[in-house]
Amino acid sequence: MTRVNCGRRGSGSRWLLPAGCVFFGCAVLLAGWLGHQLATGLIGLVVMAGFGLFIALAGRSETIRGLRGDGRDERFAQIDLRATAATGMVLIVAVIVAFLVEIARGHDGSPYTWLGALAGVAYVAAVAFLRWRG
Amino acid sequence: MKNLVRALRIEKGLAQGELGEAMGVSRQTINSIENERYTPSLPLALALARYFGVTVEEMFDDQG
Repeated sequence: MTRVNCGRRGSGSRWLLPAGCVFFGCAVLLAGWLGHQLATGLIGLVVMAGFGLFIALAGRSETIRGLRGDGRDERFAQIDLRATAATGMVLIVAVIVAFLVEIARGHDGSPYTWLGALAGVAYVAAVAFLRWRG
Repeated sequence: MKNLVRALRIEKGLAQGELGEAMGVSRQTINSIENERYTPSLPLALALARYFGVTVEEMFDDQG
């Protein structure tokens, strides 16, 4: 049977997200330890490791396999792109709202000022780069 | 986009999963194409057309 490959990822990335979760959990633990908030760090590690374990061992649904990375094809790549864009929009709107609330409270808007500026610069830079790349 | 993927697949006696396996995409992607919820990329459209021995224009109808 003819077999082609239209954007399907290999199964090698199956453990990437779970490993990333554990790594991030360890980073939270380290930050908590450095900031004398060991309990918060431990909770962070447990939550992130638990999520990673769930993703690693969960069933064969397309959503789980797509999140995990071992069942992706071109359609899921498009879904991922749209989901990432939607997430970015939610974050940017949240930052803008938080900035306005901080200003209305008489504060200087920090840290939302530079977070909003970073988002704006990153977007413009990405558009310019992607347009240049064709 | 209207297409003949389902008709050609059934004619060939294939399950969605088998066609997906042959194309290197998931069963759900084949299902989405058949139900006109997803328009495949040009490489996938070409691969599907080549697989069934028809032209892309015969397989996909962008005017329907």
